[in-house]
Amino acid sequence: MVKKTKITVDHSKCHTGASTDPRDCRKCLFVCDPAVFLMHPTLEEHPDPHNPEIWRIDPIWLSKCTGCMKCVKVCPEHAITVVPGVSLHEMKAR
Amino acid sequence: MCEWCFKHGDGGKWYNNARLYRNELADEYNCSEYLEEQWKNMETLFIRKIMGFNSIGLGYKMKMPIIGKVIRKVVEGQIHSEKKNRNPVRADGHFGQVLPLEDAQHIIGNLAAEPIIKNYCVCRWMQRGVKDAVCINFGQLSEVIEKHTRYIPEGVKYRLDREEAIQALQEQNEKGYIASVWFQPVPYINAICSCETPECGGLRLRNDFDLRTVYKGEYVIDIDIDNCQGCASCVSMCQFNALRYLPSVKRVIVDLDKCFGCGVCRHACKHDALNLVPREDVPGQAGKY
Ligand code: SF4
Ligand code: SF4
Ligand code: SF4
Ligand code: SF4
Ligand code: SF4
Repeated sequence: MVKKTKITVDHSKCHTGASTDPRDCRKCLFVCDPAVFLMHPTLEEHPDPHNPEIWRIDPIWLSKCTGCMKCVKVCPEHAITVVPGVSLHEMKAR
Repeated sequence: MCEWCFKHGDGGKWYNNARLYRNELADEYNCSEYLEEQWKNMETLFIRKIMGFNSIGLGYKMKMPIIGKVIRKVVEGQIHSEKKNRNPVRADGHFGQVLPLEDAQHIIGNLAAEPIIKNYCVCRWMQRGVKDAVCINFGQLSEVIEKHTRYIPEGVKYRLDREEAIQALQEQNEKGYIASVWFQPVPYINAICSCETPECGGLRLRNDFDLRTVYKGEYVIDIDIDNCQGCASCVSMCQFNALRYLPSVKRVIVDLDKCFGCGVCRHACKHDALNLVPREDVPGQAGKY
């Protein structure tokens, strides 16, 4: 079995309504070369469906993570953890 | 010409077919309703579960034996779906093709339905946290996007006349953004994007997972060896890593298997050494979209 990269974002620290709203910060999005993270509205119902108000960040393209840890270092809320596994680049090389 | 030209081109390239831009066609396929639902949920596309799977860790899922193959088949079936009951929330039937600036400008000048707007690129907002007003949308899609104020550029004129939109495409292409044209949903055409990788969701699925969300363009680049001075300025323009500088012979070479025919590299060349040629005329590239 391939060891997958594990990334977590603590939504109690970064979430609309928490101490940081991801739409204001966006630092992890900026520093990640392969753009692993995605900023998105939650799947819940929003009062105005045309302009959802509750946003958060989740890691999506995990197999592209290079394990550089820049996101962990840059996050002002210390909300991100990364446990690097095998990246898709390495898988291709095999 | 790709399979979609044979299906919807009426004898030419699909994106040059005036019929696919008309309001009557959009109405026939209930596109307004589809677009309304799709755009309300656009940024949740990759986190939503579709038949039990979302896109989180897609690379690992697609490497799994059997399951990986099933996912590929299901996802491509949805992307290219022409069925009646297409699901807008998962963007069924929404895909596009890379095209050179000239073809994009021809569309905006002659084929696109009004109104024409420019709005913030959804992909760059979701993936890079940047608001970049580079998407040119038109026809029934414009009226849908206008309701979503977060995409409407602040303090600038965002409804464009044809001349302004042609100029906008020019500036974006010269910056190095790749022009692309989109079915949304097939066969209705309503968008010309100016994309950047790896943020672009369509190009992400194509480049990293080989899913046909974006087809390669109708052209590939040709390097005029006599004109090339080896300045290497073009290399940094190519978002597909198709160009490389060779110190030994002091010129650039192209890997045609990687070239999408976007033509963006041409803006960097001061020596008239880069030209697009039809993909169909190049051995080994004909039919490879
Ligand atoms: S460790 Fe590096 S590559 Fe991985 S998600 Fe963080 S910034 Fe991106
Ligand atoms: S860097 Fe941290 S606080 Fe800032 S958006 Fe990313 S997860 Fe949230
Ligand atoms: S397809 Fe391209 S231009 Fe359009 S929203 Fe995505 S990245 Fe932006
Ligand atoms: S080499 Fe091909 S893909 Fe790269 S910029 Fe030029 S035309 Fe586009
Ligand atoms: S920009 Fe033109 S002259 Fe310079 S290396 Fe590229 S093709 Fe050659």
